[in-house]
Amino acid sequence: MSEPTLLRVADLALHYRTRRGVVRAVDGVGFDLRRNEALVVLGESGCGKSSLARALMRVLPRNVQHTGGRVMLGETEVTALPDERFRREVQWSRMALVMQASMNALNPVVRVGEQVAEPLRVLRGWSRRRALERAAEVFGLVGVSTDFLSRYPFELSGGMRQRAVLAMALVAEPELVILDEPTSALDVLTQAGIMNALKRIKREQGTSFILITHDVATSSELADRVALMYAGQFVEVADADAFFSRPAHPYSRMLMASVPRLRQRSRPEAIPGQPPNLFDPPSGCRFAARCPHRFARCAHDPEAIRLGERHRVRCWLHDESTRRGGA
Amino acid sequence: MSDSQRIPPPRRALWRDLRHLLAYTVKRLLALLLTVLVSVYLTIVIANMGGRVDELRLVQIRSEAAEAVRADPAFLDMPGEERHALIERRVSLEVERLRLDQPFLLRSVDYLQRAMRLELGRAEQMHSDRGSREVYDIIVERLPATLLLFGSANLLVFFTSVFVALTLSRRYGSALDRGVIALAPTSAAPGWFYGIFLILVFAFVIPLLPAGGMVAAPPPEGRWEYAASVLRHMLLPLAAMFLSSIFVSIYSWRTFFLIHSSEDYVEMARAKGLPSHLIERRYILRPTLSPIVTSFLLMLIGLWSGAIILEQVFNWPGLGSLLFRAIGHRDTPVIIGAVVIFAYLLAATVFLLDILYALLDPRVRLEGGRR
Repeated sequence: MSEPTLLRVADLALHYRTRRGVVRAVDGVGFDLRRNEALVVLGESGCGKSSLARALMRVLPRNVQHTGGRVMLGETEVTALPDERFRREVQWSRMALVMQASMNALNPVVRVGEQVAEPLRVLRGWSRRRALERAAEVFGLVGVSTDFLSRYPFELSGGMRQRAVLAMALVAEPELVILDEPTSALDVLTQAGIMNALKRIKREQGTSFILITHDVATSSELADRVALMYAGQFVEVADADAFFSRPAHPYSRMLMASVPRLRQRSRPEAIPGQPPNLFDPPSGCRFAARCPHRFARCAHDPEAIRLGERHRVRCWLHDESTRRGGA
Repeated sequence: MSDSQRIPPPRRALWRDLRHLLAYTVKRLLALLLTVLVSVYLTIVIANMGGRVDELRLVQIRSEAAEAVRADPAFLDMPGEERHALIERRVSLEVERLRLDQPFLLRSVDYLQRAMRLELGRAEQMHSDRGSREVYDIIVERLPATLLLFGSANLLVFFTSVFVALTLSRRYGSALDRGVIALAPTSAAPGWFYGIFLILVFAFVIPLLPAGGMVAAPPPEGRWEYAASVLRHMLLPLAAMFLSSIFVSIYSWRTFFLIHSSEDYVEMARAKGLPSHLIERRYILRPTLSPIVTSFLLMLIGLWSGAIILEQVFNWPGLGSLLFRAIGHRDTPVIIGAVVIFAYLLAATVFLLDILYALLDPRVRLEGGRR
């Protein structure tokens, strides 16, 4: 049952230089991902989710101050590769990204099919014909009629465009696809359609996914694993079942309580306070200021504490010594 | 959801697009023709000062006729009344020839007709260097000088600035970028201003280059010697124009490229692992080709008017100084002639741009035609 590990990330960091100081958008993130597994990265806006995707794909803005950490994809130490080799050997062929706001992710003056086929022609040197045939194949996979291959992006609806971008990500049969808010600009029905396509692709192609979102409800459809991000760090990583039924971190619990449910009397609860700004993260636990269970130890930065085989939480409440002393 | 039903089968869609494109083209042509018509007519009315120039002309004809009769020894012993009648006869002959007896409104329509057919007529006072009074000859004689100088200056500025801007946008925020951008205010001074300094420095303080004119006097014999002399005369005005516009041009193109290189599809292309030259060509330059081509073509027809002061400073025999003189002399046929040709050039360029847009941008081709 258990597949081999595909992706190992340790201590990943991405800091930006801004006029107001250094922003630690990703600050020591670590996790494992198995083949054919889907990891959902949840978090509020501005917690560093998209930066995580950028750091993994090396699509960095100009004001990067520092990157760090280690990323292993299969047997390849990705972080050790120079840019040019990374571009040729890993980017898109083994690891692809569907970026946020992919409404405008297509070049307005190039036919959709050409754009989907482009990575194969450029990175693998395939002929135009062969690449377009493959593009038609992935169009089928994501549920878009092949008629759209010869259309221009502006002739496609939002949902169709999103699927075309997804097709573009899948065209080179990557082992891992990172999806950054792939459905947040779409209506519920279109969202459901795309989530179903993703599930089918995962089942049929054995692709691994990292799905970055703030939409707890939609993401639970696909998730095998869930990571909750807060202020540039993963505060909890767990199997989806464990996370949704027994969230361990206080922030996880409060987040689950804030999800609105249909036809239910209980009001969704907002979490009081604001996430800390990432210019100058507080020392110690970053959630402490908003946490109802705050106690003395929270002044120290919590380690990732093991709760189960694949369950980690950054909270002193779950530390052996705390539990012994407290309960 | 209903996308597949909204789009008709390809062949019918193609026919419909072609039909729309044709209708669009004809409509654009008619609109442009009307534009030319209106602009030429306005020029005719303005250049004639709404007919007031005719009164001046009448006075002039009368005094010229009187002068001619008085100066002619054959009429010396003619009695005063007869002489007066002779002058009147000559004046009315000239008035008839120029049809000054008809109302201006009528004649303006007549002018318009001829101007639209590019029959530019004869100049009132000016003549070409070869002695022709034909407006066409006068203008055409000046054209090569203007095209040579302003064409090479503008082409140089255009391609240099686009190229440098692209390089800078790649290195946004670097010392080089900031340095070049800091120089943008140098374009606050016009070309002739730099021209004066350049003449002072390179023609007088260090006498390397000629201070003005287009070719040495007397002109060198051999073809190559002639070209070399023109080139030497061109250097200073070229440098003046280049200095005065290069940095602001780089600045604006750089900003243009910066804006367009942060489009989502450019980011996507980067994520796709495409090499940077391909991203620049296919994702930055290709989608922005329409505005680039527009400014290129408008720049090219902008050459037509030359540059009045710069030509004066460098004593360059171009269209700018010609127009300046024509306005000074109130030589309406020359003014109107220049404007008519410019109006036609502008209309042709705009039409060309309309077609180029449709070719370059599928959004114009397909959506614009349907509207």
